[in-house]
Amino acid sequence: MNLYTFSYGIIHWLVDLVNHLWYWLGHVLPWWFGDFFNAAGGLAASHGNIAVFAILLEVIIILIVAVINVLNFIWIDRKYMGRMFDFYGPYYVGYRIGGWLQNIADGIKLFVKEIITPAKADKLGFYIGPVIFISSSFLALSTIPLGRNFGISTNASGMGVPASALIAFAFFAIAPFSILISGWSSNNKYTLIGGMRSAAQMMSYEIPMLLTVASVFLLAGSFDFMGIVSAQRDIWFAIPLALGFVVFLVCLVAEVEIQPFDLPEAEAELVEGWTTEYSGMRFGFFMMSSYLRGYIGGAFATALFLGGWHGPSLIPEPIWFLIKAYIVFVVIEWMRWSNPRVRVDQLLNIGWKRLMPLAVLNLLIAASLKTMGWF
Amino acid sequence: MAYKKRLGSFGFVLRPMRRTGGQVWQSLIVGKPNTVLYPYQKLNLPPTYRGKHTLDFKRCIGCSNCVQICPNDCMWMEKLEDPELGKIERPGIDMGRCMFCGLCVEVCPTVAIHETVEFELADRNRDRIKFGPKELRDDSYADRIVEERQKRQVPVLDLDKCTGCEKCAGECPEMCIAMMPIEAVGKAKPEITLPKCTACEKCIVACPEKALTMKDMYESYFEMPEPRFIVKNCTGCTACAKACPADAIYMMDMPGTEKALKDGKKSKPKKRAVFVFEKCVGCGKCFRACRFSAIEMPGVKK
Repeated sequence: MNLYTFSYGIIHWLVDLVNHLWYWLGHVLPWWFGDFFNAAGGLAASHGNIAVFAILLEVIIILIVAVINVLNFIWIDRKYMGRMFDFYGPYYVGYRIGGWLQNIADGIKLFVKEIITPAKADKLGFYIGPVIFISSSFLALSTIPLGRNFGISTNASGMGVPASALIAFAFFAIAPFSILISGWSSNNKYTLIGGMRSAAQMMSYEIPMLLTVASVFLLAGSFDFMGIVSAQRDIWFAIPLALGFVVFLVCLVAEVEIQPFDLPEAEAELVEGWTTEYSGMRFGFFMMSSYLRGYIGGAFATALFLGGWHGPSLIPEPIWFLIKAYIVFVVIEWMRWSNPRVRVDQLLNIGWKRLMPLAVLNLLIAASLKTMGWF
Repeated sequence: MAYKKRLGSFGFVLRPMRRTGGQVWQSLIVGKPNTVLYPYQKLNLPPTYRGKHTLDFKRCIGCSNCVQICPNDCMWMEKLEDPELGKIERPGIDMGRCMFCGLCVEVCPTVAIHETVEFELADRNRDRIKFGPKELRDDSYADRIVEERQKRQVPVLDLDKCTGCEKCAGECPEMCIAMMPIEAVGKAKPEITLPKCTACEKCIVACPEKALTMKDMYESYFEMPEPRFIVKNCTGCTACAKACPADAIYMMDMPGTEKALKDGKKSKPKKRAVFVFEKCVGCGKCFRACRFSAIEMPGVKK
């Protein structure tokens, strides 16, 4: 049973439950009233209707899992940062579970804050920037399966979107444009500089990252996560492609814009970067989706290099996947709170002079491994 | 030299990560973070910490030296009647204006005011942080020897052992240690501002050479103004003797000043004030009480 059949069964059971009422009404009510309810029941019980709602339920389940993980990630980030700097992290709100509820308290606080649109801002761009940012992040989330039977799919086979890894990276790369839009439309010098920096940053990291991903595609012989992960049953790609894994991690940090490479949102130089003018829950969504991007990045690294859900069968598959994603996130956070922010020119140097040749070398290694016939 | 070694970009990333990883090991797995969870845990404050004041009614003589020296004008004298002590005058403190400089404690001639380690004085109402004498009252010091409280511990530096490493200056929470260059030695040595010191002994612990040691001190920093008496202006009205809180003034008959009255008897002799300077606390109350400008007190306001 995979996630699709599970939610299909639940929706089917619910529809049957409601249809008892409909058919009973059709039986009781006279003439065309009864026909109407009978027809409504039949429509509700049709395969197309149930499939649509089953997919909706799948999306909701994946979303809930993702949001819980994002809350965990924010908690881990704050707690881990605190211990790194020798203080307790969040402590009082929910002190029995280590201050975990602090995120929810902050969320409530952001909810009740006033949402301000600057008078000189370009309204359309100002509204549409966050929408693109958040929705593209969630769309990238939809392609990732957490286990062999735990991904969004549209039929009973359980296979997700074909070429899902390509689509995921395409969605993941949309964010800089939304940052540029919202930074420019805020009509503020800091946000504009942040948006432009984001565009400049994208030039440096995107190509090495996609080259390393291409090497993984080459070894796995597949474009979607299911195929890539099932190709890693014997050996994780992080071992033959160790160089590529390091390059991918560095590029991932730049992609999800956390600290050594958080040029668009440099608190020291630009006030709050491109999110300066956003207030209240808009900022809250930005922050949440930036951590969501951290989660997605960890999931990418897990699926592409760390063997996905493969592991001893003592622990269920999605849990294995999440454990690996958490470890990747913790390593990224470790880098984040240890290293200083790079300059724009340094980032371009790192991207083009260091990571690019290494990524090409990694691609050569992958190609040679493939031609040797070892994979 | 360690810092001149050229680091690759790999070492540039990994060395800080090793440092922070060690910190996480220290504060998450081995021990606890360095900070204190304030409402539940509190810092161990040194006994000479400057917090809320207490006032010993039996020791206090009501000289109002503390009120005069207070730089923020946050103290006042209040007249009350005590079943044990009779009509007395005792100071009260407005904690909203107090800056906890400790001058009132140091100037007190009978060591009646003390500062405790209690520091949680905030309130929603401003009137509730004005402490009158009854709220400040704490007579537990009355039975002890006076010097016991006047005694304080101060760090004393041994110049021969000191290497000028500045660790004590960095450790001092009151910032009362400054490094002063000494020309004869050619090095900077710590100079300790003793009035600011709270005797927390952090510098003693920090000193690698054990050049600093704690020693007892009884000194007071204040020179008392003494009244100057001008005999020819004195009329013998006894106002100063009544005003003196320390009983340092008594009236003495001046022999040979009796006048012969009409009925042959002699009148009472003229009186003058006599000062016992050992008892004097320099409060200036006699100076204020005298209406004939027979007492001068330089440095005291009328």
